[in-house]
Amino acid sequence: MIQGTIGLDNAGVVLNGAPVWQHVTGHFAAGSMTAIAGANGAGKSTLLRAILGEVPLAAGTITLDGLHPRDFGYLPQARKIDRAFPISVADMVLGGAWHRMGAFGGATRALRQRAADALDRVKLGQQAGRMIDALSAGQFQRLLFARLLMTDARVMMLDEPFTALDAPTTQDLLGLVCEWHEQGRTIIAVLHDMHQIRRCFPHVVLLSGGRAVWGETARILTPATLRQAYDGMQPRWPDTDA
Amino acid sequence: MSGLFSVLWGPFADFGFMRRALVACVTLGMGAGPVGVMLQLRRMSLIGDAMSHAILPGAAIGFLLAGGLSLTAMGLGGIGAGLGVALLAGLVSRRTHLAEDASFASFYLTSLALGVLIVSARGSNIDLLHVLFGTILAIDGPALYLMGGITTLSLGLLAVIWRPLVMECVDPGFMRMSGARGGLYHMVFLFLVVINLVAGFEALGTLMSVGMMMVPAATARLWTRRLLPMMALSALVGMGAGLVGLLVSYHCHLAAGPSIILTCSVLYILSLLASPAGIRAGNSLSL
Amino acid sequence: MLRHLSCLLGVWGVLSILPAHAAPPPHVVRAVASFTVLADVVAHVGGTHVSVTSLVPPDGDPHEFEPAPNDARVLRQADIVFMSGEGLESWFGRLAHAAGYRGTPVIVSNGISLYTPPGNRQEEADPHVWNNVANVIVWADNIRDALIAIDPADADSFRTSAAAYVSQLEALDRDIRARISAIPASRRRILTSHDAFGYFGRAYGVTFLAPQGLSTETEASAGDMASLITQIRANGVTTYFMENATDPRMVRQVAHATGAAPGGELYAEALSPPTGPAPDYITMMRHNTDLMLAAMRPH
Repeated sequence: MIQGTIGLDNAGVVLNGAPVWQHVTGHFAAGSMTAIAGANGAGKSTLLRAILGEVPLAAGTITLDGLHPRDFGYLPQARKIDRAFPISVADMVLGGAWHRMGAFGGATRALRQRAADALDRVKLGQQAGRMIDALSAGQFQRLLFARLLMTDARVMMLDEPFTALDAPTTQDLLGLVCEWHEQGRTIIAVLHDMHQIRRCFPHVVLLSGGRAVWGETARILTPATLRQAYDGMQPRWPDTDA
Repeated sequence: MSGLFSVLWGPFADFGFMRRALVACVTLGMGAGPVGVMLQLRRMSLIGDAMSHAILPGAAIGFLLAGGLSLTAMGLGGIGAGLGVALLAGLVSRRTHLAEDASFASFYLTSLALGVLIVSARGSNIDLLHVLFGTILAIDGPALYLMGGITTLSLGLLAVIWRPLVMECVDPGFMRMSGARGGLYHMVFLFLVVINLVAGFEALGTLMSVGMMMVPAATARLWTRRLLPMMALSALVGMGAGLVGLLVSYHCHLAAGPSIILTCSVLYILSLLASPAGIRAGNSLSL
Repeated sequence: MLRHLSCLLGVWGVLSILPAHAAPPPHVVRAVASFTVLADVVAHVGGTHVSVTSLVPPDGDPHEFEPAPNDARVLRQADIVFMSGEGLESWFGRLAHAAGYRGTPVIVSNGISLYTPPGNRQEEADPHVWNNVANVIVWADNIRDALIAIDPADADSFRTSAAAYVSQLEALDRDIRARISAIPASRRRILTSHDAFGYFGRAYGVTFLAPQGLSTETEASAGDMASLITQIRANGVTTYFMENATDPRMVRQVAHATGAAPGGELYAEALSPPTGPAPDYITMMRHNTDLMLAAMRPH
C-alpha cells in the first residue's frame, strides 16, 4: 500500500451486544477525499472512531500504514466539549499545537502568528480575546476548524462538521476542507447532506444494513441506492461485497 | 493604630507556633488554591472531597508502619492510597458501564472504612482524631518543609503541563486523539490533587483539608471569569482565611482548624451576596 | 498477681464448659472494671476470690473508648461492674445499653470530694481522682463493701486483702508526701500534656501546667496555647512530660516555645502493659513521682 493509506479488511464492530457493521473492506488512499454517508444509526461515527482506535474491532483489521496518532486531526461532535471552561478563543486555537509547545506552555511568536492566521481564515479574527462561552454555535464550529488548522494534520476526520450551521458558514468551511484536500491531506467526513457530498467529495462510503459500499460518488449515490440505504436494506451489487 | 497592629500582628510576633501556622496556611493556600479551581471547573468537586477520605487508609498504614505520627510515612501512604483509588475507579469505569463517579464513590468509602479500621485496631481513638482533624498549631519545621516541598512541586508541575492540562479539561476527546497517552494528564492532575490533600491533612486533617481546596476556589469563581486570575484569587483567599482564622482562634479561644475553614466559608457567603456573579446575578449563570 | 488470676480464669473457664445444671455458685466473682487503674485496685482488694477484666486496655484512654462487640459480652457475663464515675466513662451508658446490661455499676468514687476547676468552660468536675492516693483508699473501701455485698461468703477474705492493700496505699501516700515536700515550693511545677493530675497537685503541693483542657475531647485553640506558653515562660518550667494517650506534637510545640526538655512518660489514666514501667497502680504512682521529682530538682 502507498504510504499513508488507511485500509480496512473484513472489519466488524459490535456495540452493546449488537453488530453495527461487518465485513467492511476498503481503503482511504492518501490524499483522497471521502465522505461517509448512511441513515441515522448506520454506524458512520463508529467507522471514524474505529479508525481512530476509540472503538475496538470485533473482527478484521484496520491498517494505518505509517500513520501516527498525531497525524490525525479529529473534529468530534461538539457537545463533548466543556463550553463553560474559562479559556479564550486564542488559547483554544493554540491548544491545537500543544505538543509543539513543550513544558511551561510558552508559545513562540511563530505559533501565535499561525494561530492568528487560522482564526482569520475562519473569520474569527475579531473574537480572539473572547471567552469560548461567548461564541455562537456557528462561531464555535469555526473555532474547532481553526484548531484543526493548527494541528496541521495529514488526515482530517470530520464528524458531521456542518450540522446546524447556516449556509454562508457551511460554504466557507467547505471551501476550507477543499483547500486541505488540495494541500494533499486525506479527508474523511461523515455527512448527511447529499448535495455537499456530490459537489465536493469524489469518493464515498455508504453504510447500509450493516454493510459498506465503497466507490466513486457519482456511481454509488444514485436515487435507487439511496432509497435502499435509507430503508436499511443491504445493497445488492455483486462487486461491492468483500 | 498601634492597638490595631498589636491585635493583628502581635500574636505572630510573639509566638513561633503562630508564625509557623501562618506559613503553613500560606503554603497550603498557594498549592491547593489553583488545583481547587481546576477541580471545580472540571466539575470534580465532590471527587476532591472523596479523595480526601480515600487517603485515610494510606495514612493509617504509614502510621502503623512508622509506629506513630510520622510525616513521611503517612504522606507517602496517603499518596499511594489516593492514587490507588483514582486508578481503580478509572479502570472500573473503563471496563464496565459504571460511571466514574459511581465507582469512585464505592472505592473511597471502602478506603475510608479500611482506614478507620486500621487506626482503631492499632492506635487509640486519639490517634484517629488527629488523623481526621489535624493540629495546625502543632506544625513544626519538618512539616513546613514537607508542605513547602509539595506546594513547590505542585505549582511547578502545574506550570509544566499547563497547556495539555487545560486542553484535557476543556476537550479530553481532542487530547486522546492527538496522541496524549491515555489519560496521562488526567492522572497527573489527580496526582496534584492527592499531594495537595496530603499536604493539608497534617495541618487540618483529612476531613477538612479539602475545604482549603474547594471553598476558596468557589469564592474566586464568583469574582472573575478568567483562569489565571481565578487561580491567583483562590490562593489569596486561602491565605487570607488562614490569617484571619488563626487570629480568631487566638483572640476568641476557638479551635484553630475549624476557625480557618469557617473563615473560608464566611468569605464565600459574603462573595455570594456581594459579587455581581453571585445571588444578584439572577438567572442563567454561564460560569 | 494478674497472672494468677488469669490462671484461675482459665480453670474457671474449663469449669464453665461443664453441663449447666452442674454449675455450682461462683467461687470467684467475675468483676469488670471500666479501666486498668481501677481494675488493678479491684484485683488487689478482691484477692483470689475475684477475677477482673478491664474494658479499656492498657495505655488506653478511659475518656474515649470505642467498645468492641466482645466488650458487650464481657459486660453481660459480669457479676459486678466497677466504674470510677463522675463523668469519666461517658461511653459506658452506650455500651450498657447496647449490651443489654441491666445491672447497676458500682461507682467507686462515691464519697470522694470532687473538685471543679474554676474558669472551665464546661463547668464539669475533674474525674481523675485516683492520682491522689487518699482517694484510692476510698475506692478500696467502696470496692471491699461492694464485694462483700455480692459474695458474703468470702467477706473475711475481702476484708483481709483490702486491709493489707490499704496499708500499702497509706505507706505510698506518706512516701510521696515526704519526698515532694523536700523540694522547695517554688520549684514544684510540672508541664504535661494531660491535665489529669489535678488531685495529685492539690494533695501533694505540685502545680501542673498543660496545653489542653480536662479531657482529650476538646481541640486546642491558638489563644489557649499562647496563654499557656506565656504562663510557662513566666514560671520557668524546664522539663515536660508526654502523656501516653495524647498528641505528642502539641506538647513538643509548647516545649519548643519555652525551651523545655522531655522528662519521660507519665501514666495519668492508664496502666502500662505488664512489661512496662507502670503495670499496677502503686508502681504507677511511684514511677510518676520519680519522674516528677527528677524534673523538679534543680539541674
